[in-house]
Amino acid sequence: MITLQSSDKDVFEIEQSILIQSGTIKNMVEDDFTFIPLPSVDTETLIKIIEYMKKHADKTDSKEKNIKEFDKDFMKKTLNELFALVFAANYLHISSLLELLYPSIADRIKDKITEAIRQIFSIRCDFTPEEERRIIMDNKWAHEGTEIEGTLD
Amino acid sequence: MGASLSNAAENGFAAGGTGLGDIPESCVACVFMYLTPPEICNLARLNRSFRGAASSDAVWEAKLPCNYPYMLELLPVCRYEGLSKKGIFALLSRPVSFDNDNKEVWLDTISGRICMSISSKAMLITSSEDRRHWNWFPSDESRFQVVAYCQQVWWFEVSGTVKFPFPPDIYTLTFRIHIGKFHKRLGRRVSNCEHTHGWELGPIRFELSTSGGHRAVSECLLHDIEQEDAKVKNKRGCWIEYKVGEFIVSRSDPVTEVRFSMKQIDCTHSKGGLCLDSVSITPSNLRRSRRTGSFCK
Repeated sequence: MITLQSSDKDVFEIEQSILIQSGTIKNMVEDDFTFIPLPSVDTETLIKIIEYMKKHADKTDSKEKNIKEFDKDFMKKTLNELFALVFAANYLHISSLLELLYPSIADRIKDKITEAIRQIFSIRCDFTPEEERRIIMDNKWAHEGTEIEGTLD
Repeated sequence: MGASLSNAAENGFAAGGTGLGDIPESCVACVFMYLTPPEICNLARLNRSFRGAASSDAVWEAKLPCNYPYMLELLPVCRYEGLSKKGIFALLSRPVSFDNDNKEVWLDTISGRICMSISSKAMLITSSEDRRHWNWFPSDESRFQVVAYCQQVWWFEVSGTVKFPFPPDIYTLTFRIHIGKFHKRLGRRVSNCEHTHGWELGPIRFELSTSGGHRAVSECLLHDIEQEDAKVKNKRGCWIEYKVGEFIVSRSDPVTEVRFSMKQIDCTHSKGGLCLDSVSITPSNLRRSRRTGSFCK
């Protein structure tokens, strides 16, 4: 059994066979670590990650359909939850989860206009107005002949 | 479409405070693999991480078609030397001329699929050297700035060919024709069909064949072509894109040769009063531009 500790200092004991889906954890286990602190992953996200790995640990043929259903439901989370998962899955090197998350996130953000995204997620724009103007000009070619509704250009 | 600002569940940060702004550039680049070029470019101005990912070579290499080096060679080196993959995509999404500027090829901005247009100037037209039968007039309604007008012939035959390393895909070939002549009078476009004649006596035969072994044949009376087009467009007197058929390309190597023709060679009667602009080869089921309702140029 391996012990994982979240950034909130909560601990979870999980079988090694389930955790080796994470490349990062696998490497640490091979180096004989049994207690693994994860300062970049909070409890809420870690619980979801463990839930995912438990479901995917048993990949027999009969479970294929169940796993697909589970994956579909698993992606029904808020965008912020998905971002937290991407961050954690990237750190933990769980490629199958990343392959699920990327298209789901893409689908959710593609139609949102820049200002809306900044407002919803309180993202600080780290460009000067001049830099931002330049980026808009540099990227104008992609919108020739098409129309992205709702741009602020 | 547009922002859904009122979705309360999306607001605020996740428990650990990780949000959109914290995702590493490499992860954003992976998300971008699933978006179209306009969507990626739209997100480039979000913040530095997104801008970096939006310029990533890995993302744009995946958007370029397999034959893009061939397309680049049609341009002078100075146009593409030192360009990033994104720059190459932007460059090739604008028409690239070849074959004495009688043909143009470009990438559809949204899908990265290849589109091509072949001018009437590149085609073999029987009796085209005789002004009593055919003449060319300048027009900004043609991407080649010139249109061929058939005044009167007995043997109507137009044929052409193109050799190109088309990427694997399914393509549609269309003839762009106009019934009668047209001109601008006092700022208004006027169509004139009074010299259009002879087409009701026999159908036009359109053919296409490829080196890959595909063939399509279509026979249609000009009147029926016009009716079908008017039904779809709800008006007459405009350019008609007549679909000849489709062909499949399964490999870009060896290059595919496409031959096409349009004939009405029943010499018992004359025919004329028809404009021919070009032939288009475009991927089947290409998503149409939201603004103009025409194929993205």
